[in-house]
Amino acid sequence: MDMRTYLPRFAAIVLAGASLMAVTAAQAKEITVWCWDPNFNVAIMKEAGARYTKAHPDVTFNIVDFAKADVEQKLQTGLSSGTADALPDIVLIEDYGAQKYLQSFPGAFAPLSGTVDYSGFAPYKVELMTLDGQVYGMPFDSGVTGLYYRKDYLEQAGFKPEDMQGITWDRFIEIGQQVEAKTGKKMMGLDPTDAGLVRIIMQSAGQWYFDKDGKANITGNAALKAALETINKIMSANIYKPAAGWSDWVGTFTSGDVATVITGVWITGTVKAQPDQSGKWGVAPIPALSIDGATHASNLGGSSWYVLESSAEKAEAIDFLNAVYAKDVDFYQTILTDRGAVGSLLAARSGAAYGEADAFFGGEKVWQNFSDWLAKVPSVNYGVFTNEADTAVTAQLPALTQGTPVDEVLKAIDAEVSAQIQ
Amino acid sequence: MALARRGGIGRYYNVNGWLFVAPALGLIALFMIYPILWSLWMSFQSGRGMMLKFAGFSNIIRLWNDPVFIKALTNTLTYFVVQVPIMILLALILASLLNNPKLVGRGFFRTAIFLPCVTSLVAYSVLFKGMFAHDGIVNSTLEAIGIIGEPIPWLTHPFWAKVLVILAITWRWTGYNMIFYLAAMQNIDKSIYEVARIDGVPAWARFTHITIPLLKPVILFTTIISTIGTIQLFDEVYNLTEGKGGPSNATLTLSLYIYNLTFRFMPNFGYAATVSYVIVVLVALLACLQFFAARERDR
Repeated sequence: MDMRTYLPRFAAIVLAGASLMAVTAAQAKEITVWCWDPNFNVAIMKEAGARYTKAHPDVTFNIVDFAKADVEQKLQTGLSSGTADALPDIVLIEDYGAQKYLQSFPGAFAPLSGTVDYSGFAPYKVELMTLDGQVYGMPFDSGVTGLYYRKDYLEQAGFKPEDMQGITWDRFIEIGQQVEAKTGKKMMGLDPTDAGLVRIIMQSAGQWYFDKDGKANITGNAALKAALETINKIMSANIYKPAAGWSDWVGTFTSGDVATVITGVWITGTVKAQPDQSGKWGVAPIPALSIDGATHASNLGGSSWYVLESSAEKAEAIDFLNAVYAKDVDFYQTILTDRGAVGSLLAARSGAAYGEADAFFGGEKVWQNFSDWLAKVPSVNYGVFTNEADTAVTAQLPALTQGTPVDEVLKAIDAEVSAQIQ
Repeated sequence: MALARRGGIGRYYNVNGWLFVAPALGLIALFMIYPILWSLWMSFQSGRGMMLKFAGFSNIIRLWNDPVFIKALTNTLTYFVVQVPIMILLALILASLLNNPKLVGRGFFRTAIFLPCVTSLVAYSVLFKGMFAHDGIVNSTLEAIGIIGEPIPWLTHPFWAKVLVILAITWRWTGYNMIFYLAAMQNIDKSIYEVARIDGVPAWARFTHITIPLLKPVILFTTIISTIGTIQLFDEVYNLTEGKGGPSNATLTLSLYIYNLTFRFMPNFGYAATVSYVIVVLVALLACLQFFAARERDR
């Protein structure tokens, strides 16, 4: 072939190919999402993505499933390296850590204030993602807590479902002792390296490790003190099965070894994953403390979606979150029925699924209950050092159970937290 | 003339030689020296995430007032003081037993004892976690043969959690050290042992007066390697305790604390860099000490 005609022709083909690729690249957008828990967040995001792709066929989704710790580590590494190439477009962040990321990496997350109508969401969710007047995330699930109990075990011990409603922690421990005496089952699984229960009890009375200004609130914190005393009573009454780590703790109730589970509503999917236990479970409000401000409602965990400022698909990502998570009430009905996800969009609660009875819980209207309790969760300031305070609390729990007075334990926690938060 | 030419060739070789090593040197500078210097600079800064500010010696002052750091340091040194001697001694004893040509199935035992060290750190930690769970196979076996009445709280009691970590790293690394000793023992001239035997030196004295002195360089080497490994201990504790160093920070190590400061807590890269320099200083000091101790005895 003659070189003179070959070269321009070749160049033309290459150019045409390149421009064709550029055109397709401009049309097809792929939104990458990082989140954890394949049965919960990942599955829910896939559902949300499918809904958006139906209306916008040019936008596809790549939902990556990591362990929660890995999402946090990868995000923190990516943000601190200063290069955003490896980061996703949307990332899931647990509510306790939201302020930590927003304050540590200013400019890393896209503010959504102008786009999203935040008045439609539970206020405590919006507050925790607000910094300097800007709101940064898309509020997602709530960790409203409940007391899941085995009706069959409690019946054997002589308790009816009414006996579980509106009890105090002291009564809960009494019931636990009788359950063990009559059935040989422990009342609950407890992981002494996890401060989750302390946080549940503390927030149920409207307090946190930090006050509204973010200062440490440990030694004068009546709710924290009462929470530690409660844990101590549970331990000395020996109504718990010790667990080491999360999966071990989950095993305590999936195996049927314990009579109750006190945790966030997101555990529902795991509880229901045991079909042979269908009809044996009931849900009641969590026990309350006997101090001022005590309630039967609290929160554990819960997380929200954040768009990275550096994302190439920022506009699409924001539009997607706004279209599905802030407007699609039907979507919230699906994820509630399929996954047990109680969203924080207030309008979602008027949907049909919230009023339905659940056969697994013997026909109780559990979702209506959870959504009622959600409205009563006391709002607290999670601050930026919850992990540090948690570590300090779990570090001091053994001392407490070995008989150290609770005030001294609080002082030790305070000393550790004060050294950490700087 | 000849001198000039030789100089020319010398320069030619010099330039070419440096050109050949230049890519490697460049990479080492970029990926080793630059991060080391940068982390040193970082250890003088403090702040939240990317908001780092120069802070002088405040991180070093913070170390002394940080109960968690003190706890991590004591734990790390406890592992070092308890575990390294046990492991070195065990490896020496196993090596000299397996060096006995009369032993049947030597190859099998060598492989069996070395095998733990080719398993992945994460895999064996997860296995240990399952085996030593509250109602795991270890507790149920010990209960079945009547050694214990109550299950041992391996993972939930501060003392037993430390014991478990020491058990785990000893299981993992004893075979590794043993291989070094075996190799070194096979290089010891057999005639020395023959002479000793003819002179009526008992077996124990042959071990302490011939084997150990002749193995001294290898023992020094393995001690330093084990020291560095133990001071940097991370994987086992991270996986056994789900990254928390619990219960009650009883198993927290310096490396795990660095990880927490960087990834779990409010990210303070400056303070984390300071703690990592504590490890550098610690390893350097201990290695010097071991060299010094070994050299003294030679005289």
